Amino acid sequence: MPPSDTPPLVELRDVTKAYAEGDTVREVLSGVQLSLHRGEFVVLLGRSGSGKSTLLNLISGIDVPTRGEVRVDGRNLGSLSERERTLLRRERVGFIFQAFNLLPTLTVEENVRLPLELNGHGAAESGAKARALLERVGLRERARSFPDRLSGGEQQRVAVARALAHAPPLLLADEPTGNLDEATGRQVLDLLEGLTRQGNACALVVTHEPALVSRADRVLSMEGGRLVEREHARREAR
Amino acid sequence: MSGRGLVIGTAVVLAGLAVAVAIVTHESRPPELNPGGTLTVSDALGGGGAEGYARAVEPRPFQFPEDHGPHPEFRTEWWYWTGNLETEDGRAFGYQFTLFRSALAPEAPQRQSAWGARQVYLGHFTVSDVAAGEFHASERFSRSALELAGASARPFKVWLEDWEAASVGESTWPVRLRAETDEVALELLLEPGKPPVLQGDRGLSQKGPERGNASYYYSMTRMPSRGTVRVEGRTYAVKGESWMDREWSTSALGEDQVGWDWFSLQLSDGSELMYYQLRRKDGSADRFSSGTWVPSAGAESSAPVRVSREDIQLTVLDTWKSPRSGGVYPSRWRLRVEKLGLDLTVTPRLADQELPVSVVYWEGSVGLEGTREGEPLTGQGYVELTGYADTRPRPQGRRASDSGR
Amino acid sequence: MRRLLVRSSLRHLGGHPWLTALSLLGIALGVAVVVSIDLASGSALRAFERSTDAVAGRATHQVVGGSSGLDERVYRDLRLRRDAPVSAPVVEGHVQAAVGDRRTLTVLGVDPFAEAPFRDYAKGEAVGDVGALLTEPGTVLLSARAAQSLGITSGGELPVRVEGVEKRLRVAGLLTPSDEDTARAVEALVLTDVSTAQEVLGQVGRLTRVDLRIRDEAEAQRLQAALPTGTELVRASARAGTVEQMTRAFRTNLTALSLLALVVGMFLIYNTMTFSVVQRRGLLGRLRAVGITRGELFALVLGEAAVLGAVGTVAGLLLGVLLARGLVGLVTQTFNDLYFVVSVRALALEPFTLAKGLVLGLGATLVAALVPAWEAARSAPVTTMRRSTLEDVSRSRAPRLAVLGLVVLAAGTGMLTWPTQALLPAYGGLFSVLLGSALLVPWVTERLSSVAALPLGSTFGLLGRMAARSVRTSLSRTAVALAALMVAVATTVGVGLMVSSFRGTVVSWLDTSLQADVFISPPSLVARRGGATLVPGLEERLRSTPGVAASSTLRVASARVDGVPTDLLAIDFTRTQARPYRFKEGNPETVWRELESSPDALLVSEPFSFHRRVRVGDTVRLTTDRGPHDFRVVGVYFDYGSDVGTMLMPRTTYERWFDDRGVSGVALYAAPGQDVDALVASVRERAGDSQALLVRANRSLRQASLEVFDRTFTITQVLRLLAIGVAFVGVLSALMSLQLERARELAVLRATGLTPGQLWGLVSLQTGLLGLLAGLFSVPLGMALAYVLVHVINQRSFGWTLRLAVSPETLVQAVLLALVASALAGLYPAWKMARANPALALREE
Repeated sequence: MPPSDTPPLVELRDVTKAYAEGDTVREVLSGVQLSLHRGEFVVLLGRSGSGKSTLLNLISGIDVPTRGEVRVDGRNLGSLSERERTLLRRERVGFIFQAFNLLPTLTVEENVRLPLELNGHGAAESGAKARALLERVGLRERARSFPDRLSGGEQQRVAVARALAHAPPLLLADEPTGNLDEATGRQVLDLLEGLTRQGNACALVVTHEPALVSRADRVLSMEGGRLVEREHARREAR
Repeated sequence: MSGRGLVIGTAVVLAGLAVAVAIVTHESRPPELNPGGTLTVSDALGGGGAEGYARAVEPRPFQFPEDHGPHPEFRTEWWYWTGNLETEDGRAFGYQFTLFRSALAPEAPQRQSAWGARQVYLGHFTVSDVAAGEFHASERFSRSALELAGASARPFKVWLEDWEAASVGESTWPVRLRAETDEVALELLLEPGKPPVLQGDRGLSQKGPERGNASYYYSMTRMPSRGTVRVEGRTYAVKGESWMDREWSTSALGEDQVGWDWFSLQLSDGSELMYYQLRRKDGSADRFSSGTWVPSAGAESSAPVRVSREDIQLTVLDTWKSPRSGGVYPSRWRLRVEKLGLDLTVTPRLADQELPVSVVYWEGSVGLEGTREGEPLTGQGYVELTGYADTRPRPQGRRASDSGR
Repeated sequence: MRRLLVRSSLRHLGGHPWLTALSLLGIALGVAVVVSIDLASGSALRAFERSTDAVAGRATHQVVGGSSGLDERVYRDLRLRRDAPVSAPVVEGHVQAAVGDRRTLTVLGVDPFAEAPFRDYAKGEAVGDVGALLTEPGTVLLSARAAQSLGITSGGELPVRVEGVEKRLRVAGLLTPSDEDTARAVEALVLTDVSTAQEVLGQVGRLTRVDLRIRDEAEAQRLQAALPTGTELVRASARAGTVEQMTRAFRTNLTALSLLALVVGMFLIYNTMTFSVVQRRGLLGRLRAVGITRGELFALVLGEAAVLGAVGTVAGLLLGVLLARGLVGLVTQTFNDLYFVVSVRALALEPFTLAKGLVLGLGATLVAALVPAWEAARSAPVTTMRRSTLEDVSRSRAPRLAVLGLVVLAAGTGMLTWPTQALLPAYGGLFSVLLGSALLVPWVTERLSSVAALPLGSTFGLLGRMAARSVRTSLSRTAVALAALMVAVATTVGVGLMVSSFRGTVVSWLDTSLQADVFISPPSLVARRGGATLVPGLEERLRSTPGVAASSTLRVASARVDGVPTDLLAIDFTRTQARPYRFKEGNPETVWRELESSPDALLVSEPFSFHRRVRVGDTVRLTTDRGPHDFRVVGVYFDYGSDVGTMLMPRTTYERWFDDRGVSGVALYAAPGQDVDALVASVRERAGDSQALLVRANRSLRQASLEVFDRTFTITQVLRLLAIGVAFVGVLSALMSLQLERARELAVLRATGLTPGQLWGLVSLQTGLLGLLAGLFSVPLGMALAYVLVHVINQRSFGWTLRLAVSPETLVQAVLLALVASALAGLYPAWKMARANPALALREE
């Protein structure tokens, strides 16, 4: 499936992001160019503070670039209002965070239902769908528990289910296995990859997990605010 | 993560507060009210026993003008004027002007306030506007204190606030009647006409079998009257003849007597007939019903003739039901006195001449026609019918009407 | 979607049951105070109106006379006129039942024969022997309810006290009105004939007024022209209006004080909502990341506030009714002491008042939640959250808030110094001062706590430094809590200082005005007015008591100034040199000469001058028994006895214009060397049994006057206590939430090896520091509030010049309150943290 045949799902054109820190200005991202297509499973590597999270925030419309353009589905996020960006995110993006992923005041099932209901699905429909997803991640029987009763691995599995519940074309994950032991982490990643590919979505995963690198379609890495694509990884994946 | 405790706690506290509020507001709610009767001024009149008052037990000498004045040792007394008047062009009016004196106690206690009183005056004033078919009635009360109401023989004066009957000059006659309400006003000058007629046994009018169940009673049966009547804002000069009744007593009606029908008739031949029929509970005429025929001034014998119940045949020809009180009154009579050769038909000039006052009764102008010993005659007069309506106003209704102003 | 969010919110509230409960309590108390004051003073006023209505009946106009009513012949002449209006004579006065609860009863003497057009007691009543009313002296009708609670039956005897003289009345019949309104109206009524009323009230030959029903203005004018000199035709509605006006300032002040409690309550809400937002920053940020819009978050937080507000307000309404039940007695007592005789037996639950409370409670909650809701909406949709950056923002915002606070303070000061007599800007200024000070709190706290770190550190070591630093590092929460505490405590300080200042002023006023040695007066039903008269002849006997060097007499009468009944004092100065008055305007040297030489000069009290805008040189028009007359004001004297104002004239002037010859009080000056107690005893002896008199030596009258004063301020004190209660709840909830919120941090400390004891120490230090700060902040603000209350609000409400006196006890009390509350607030979190398994606490969130 040649990705370049279809228009890119995400496109970053010469994106620069700088933060004012006291009197000095620190450039976190500089001149980033990136295209992501549906069906791609992309891994993003980089040391702490290299700008990975900033990149995710820009793609999801949480943050806006200092210079350059971010396009999702062909729409320039810079031309959208805050509210429109929020609604775009609600519809098009699934998020998985490193930790504290779930809403503590909602049950596991409700957490999964939230994106569905946000996107206008009825209670019955979203309930059924959420339970099906929980079945898939093997947590059907914990549906009524609150997140603080779950182990870290279980929590991340719920997070995956929630991120994919409304079948978003774009999935963003920020070190989803950072807090998990190796075996559990692998389990979560399997799930993530499987569900992404199945839904023909595009996943951008920030991680250090070597196993994942080997399975990714593309491997990107942030180095000093610049994005570098590792050709070998792609080849290996092929 | 459970808010259940909070919710339950809050609910319990709210419920507790609500109960406390219910208790507090309930506690401050006073005991249930029981619907009671009515405070009527008539309660104040005629209540109490007869002890301490003088009684009418035997004939007494009458002296005038002293006896025109008040007799405070008796419990009840009235000055009663009725009459039929006419304007120059024949517009007819009837009037009634009555001042009652009623004692609340036989003796007045010694007290500082000038308002303390043992006498109460009650006034009734009606005008029957025959042409317009209107009957105007009003009532007022006052204690006899602070010169608000009272009576005196010399100079003759009976008054209740600005309603009054008083001598015009030094001598008793003529007397001027004056009464006024918002609707109607009357001002009349009365000449005595015939001398006073003592009713009953030399003025002692026995009303029941019991000793003392009697009144002292005299009448002036044909008093030439002239003056003005104001009706609906227009004042008419009128002339006519009045009838004055004066009666005082301590107790009059007996146990079984429920009311009376009283006739004062002025016949066109110059004679007058007074007759009252006391009604018993069973509807029959009491044996103490009585009357007097006063011959005309030019007759050979001017002595009045007593008429007893047996002498009179009174037949009711028609009745009228009051829409106001629901009382059913007789409203046309045939009155025959064989020993006088009288055969009269008496007809009210207006059907509704009922007084909607604290004690409801009918008193109105009547006309009559008939024969005396075959000779046709006409006449006019007044009829009073009491005890037909519920005497107590209904609880929701107007109570003792005000003076009408 | 909203359902899930709402569920999430409710679970959050439920997850902190104690905090939620405390903020509910805060709202409930705030609303309760406002509602109860409203209900209580409303009930007293309604009761008065009802009895006024019952007594005034359907009269459209009244003929009234000079200070002692009018001659009964005026009525007679009116009745005998040919164009007489519908009229009825009335003799009215008050007596005290000498049995049962000794309630005050209104004696209404009427003429039953003239009553029908005016009053409806007759409607549906069972009545005993009406004839007896006219013929038997001392016979009365009493409402069945009053009779029942006084334990009197029809035909029984009702002993009463009238101006110190005991009289026996006979109850000839019982009034049992069929409808509730009439029943309530006649509950405190003794209905009798004019004659008995005249005799019982000592008004033989006089009528209080003549009630009239007049159809139109033309008739009124005709009648007015025909009335004799010294009488006046007034509208019947004027009287109820006067009462409303008379008590308006008093009631407004009560309402404002009760609103202060609600403002404190608002700070509590603000505190709670801010906490719940701050606490959920992470959660809110994640919600934003997931795609919840700002508007939705704003609505969410407001919705939470609305739920809290609704529940709290409903509880507050219920609580308010209960409280009002207790307060109505106090308010009634105060009304009775200050203004007029009223007997309130039940609470009037006005739906309007309750609705007002509901709107106020909900509105206050929502307004207080606006800022937190806005904060919530501003949450950045971030995936990872670091507290420190947030606190950095808080700290950097502090100076800006402080500047804003200064602006608000300046605006408030501007409103307060605005040269107007209107109360609204004064209250606006008052609340601006509160708000401005609250805005200053974060910055001051930050400065102070960094300063405090040093001494605390050297005293308590690391823990001390931590305690101080935590105040600073969690400024976003501590500042809010502190502001709430400060406002709450300052309110109690302000009200406390106001009352003590007032009292101090009254004490020094009493010292100058009570110069005589012995004061004699009959007991009066309105404590501060006292128009009861001495039995004729007694005055001279008392004044000539051996050992008396000088004496004066006082007559308290009611005269109408431009139609408004006003207390008029007539004082006989002829036998004394003492002039115990201080003047605000007018030269004391010349005032007395002018007053005694001119038959149409008088003095007015400070509140009179204030309310009627009358100054020295102006004239006031009095209705005298010689007809209306203009009197020249030659001086304005200080007087704290009446907030509606009084007038004063020499007895000679009074007797020239009025027929009344009564004496309400006698003041005796002891001869040099005369023992005052012996003088009191011989005065008592000379007075005999003819009348129960209050014979009081200087100090005991002073004592009694202060007791009355204190009684009239009881309600204010109760309000202050309630405000303290609200403040206490505020301290508790603010500090407790602060500590509970730090559970995780404390768990880390526990895990690092802090013993439960050390933990307790740390928590106590922190809350103690906050309590201390709040107490300290509240002192200057409280004094500022007191200043505003005394010099602006009191002055504009009553026209009184008061001296602000700062009593140290009040200030110490405030700091103690803050400290005790904060110590208590630390207990529960410390206990909970010490017991909790640190691992569990670490896992939470």
